[in-house]
Amino acid sequence: MNNMTTSAQDGAPVSLSPGRIALRRAFRHGGFWIGGTIILAIILIAIFAPLLTPYDPSVQSLSKGFVPPVWAKDGSWLHPLGTDNLGRDYLARLLYGARISLGLALLTVIISGTIGTAMGITAGYWGGWPDMIINFFITVRLTLPVVLVALVVVALIGSSLWLLILVIGLLLWDRFAIVVRSATQQLAQREYITSARAIGSSTPRILFREILPNITGPLVVVASIEIAHAILLEAALSFLGLGVQPPDVSWGLMVAEAKAQLLFRPWMIAIPGAALVLLIFAINLVGDALRDVTTPEGKA
Amino acid sequence: MLVYLSKRFLMTMLVIAVTSGIAFLLVHLSGDPAAAMAGEGASEADIEAVRATYGFDRPLYVQYLDWVGRILTGDLGRSTYLRADVTDVLARHVPVTATLGLCALTFALALSIPLGVIAALRPNTLIDRFALWVAVAGQALPSFLFALGLMYLFGVYFRLLPISGNETWWHFIMPSIALGYYATPAIMRLTRSGMLDVMQSDHVRTARAYGLAPWRVVVRHGLRHAIIPVVSLAAVQLGFMLGGSIVIETIFSLKGIGYLAWESIQRADIEVIQAILLVIAAAYAVLTLLADLLNAALDPRIRIS
Repeated sequence: MNNMTTSAQDGAPVSLSPGRIALRRAFRHGGFWIGGTIILAIILIAIFAPLLTPYDPSVQSLSKGFVPPVWAKDGSWLHPLGTDNLGRDYLARLLYGARISLGLALLTVIISGTIGTAMGITAGYWGGWPDMIINFFITVRLTLPVVLVALVVVALIGSSLWLLILVIGLLLWDRFAIVVRSATQQLAQREYITSARAIGSSTPRILFREILPNITGPLVVVASIEIAHAILLEAALSFLGLGVQPPDVSWGLMVAEAKAQLLFRPWMIAIPGAALVLLIFAINLVGDALRDVTTPEGKA
Repeated sequence: MLVYLSKRFLMTMLVIAVTSGIAFLLVHLSGDPAAAMAGEGASEADIEAVRATYGFDRPLYVQYLDWVGRILTGDLGRSTYLRADVTDVLARHVPVTATLGLCALTFALALSIPLGVIAALRPNTLIDRFALWVAVAGQALPSFLFALGLMYLFGVYFRLLPISGNETWWHFIMPSIALGYYATPAIMRLTRSGMLDVMQSDHVRTARAYGLAPWRVVVRHGLRHAIIPVVSLAAVQLGFMLGGSIVIETIFSLKGIGYLAWESIQRADIEVIQAILLVIAAAYAVLTLLADLLNAALDPRIRIS
């Protein structure tokens, strides 16, 4: 409920808003700190990539192909992670790659979160036949294999970044819808919703002022899961050659391009791979921490 | 039970019908099938000719009904690229994917159920933490990376296993591990929480008090109850694997339907693509139906409510 936030200013610790209590708990949670720090570092790298490397990630220089990384016998600090087969600086590609992985995931989750939340609230609040129809939609969506549908659409329309964002966003709303639906169902029977209706609050007011603020906990947890999911899906599509297209660069694409080097230069797969794993791992840590602090029975 | 059964069955048929429509629309609205079929550099007249020959100039709903009508007679269309009936092509590829899926599921169950049981018997100890970490790490590792890692370790470094093809059973080992690993966290967590609950129940305490051997209490009185929800989860996970096998099959050149789908997408072979979409969706729908029925058969409480 919203009116609780205002009373916290008198300095009475009793009436902290649920959101603020969750935030306080989060800052005492180890996983939240570790994961949050890693994510923040990767976001900063993505924003300040041009300042961190003098190289352009897509400029080729064929005479400088496969320069070894600094830890190899004849590596140098000129190219700390070496270059790829086309002579592009590998560190620059890694730093710029963070931009697409993060940006794409964020935009797709905004799309899928909006769709899923709208469907979940509709189904959970009204019940009856809207619930049945939306449930059917969720079942149909779960029946369609995500990777395959995304591949088909992207391949037939022609791959572009915006199409990729749209397709992934339109595919990953199912978990939002399921979780929001059950959270709304539980809230819709609470007394304060009944009283809001009794004093004549309009339906949009009830949905946006009473229900939506009170399902932010599960919503944020699902969002963290789906951000990780979107990053993995983009990486898988790029790996199959139908995701991010050159001259853009993403970590999944880097793994795909290095696939042929598995035998002689395995680090070229390991470096972008490790970056991906680190990012997903950090997001999962934060997601688990958020789940711990937003569920009442979670640890304090 | 009969009412429940027929309700679920009807629902499944409806889902399959709707997904068939979506599969058809995806393929027909995403691109111009006639242009794709005519190939690159075809003239406008050529494309028109292809359009007329294959009936792409008819209204979409006529084409859809035509497609569905042929499917009901067992004819999935004809691959223009392979010059073969889609039904025959699928018949060659489905067994490979089915084998892969079953091997992967076996691997997942063999790893996750013992881990889940041990974790539940010794909660909050090292082994429980280890099991949890396996689950968390598994969720962070993209499947293609895991597959490439296995390939490097066992195919390139130790030279123990073949890295591509599907000729012998040896070829299925790495793909099954790579695919099955992703089902382990969910199964393990469900087994663990189920075992935690059941081990505190009265009948387990009674069995212990009788002085039965500890392993007998765990397996006959504990696991037998905890396994019920796992059975249906396993069926759903098998459905997920069929959809997710495209990445693994492509990496290991395992010639199943995932690999066929990837190849067909590359050459815009739309009849094959829509057939595969339909087959995978139908398999998933049937498997979830099977999961619900298994659950109802094993746990009478579900049938009644």
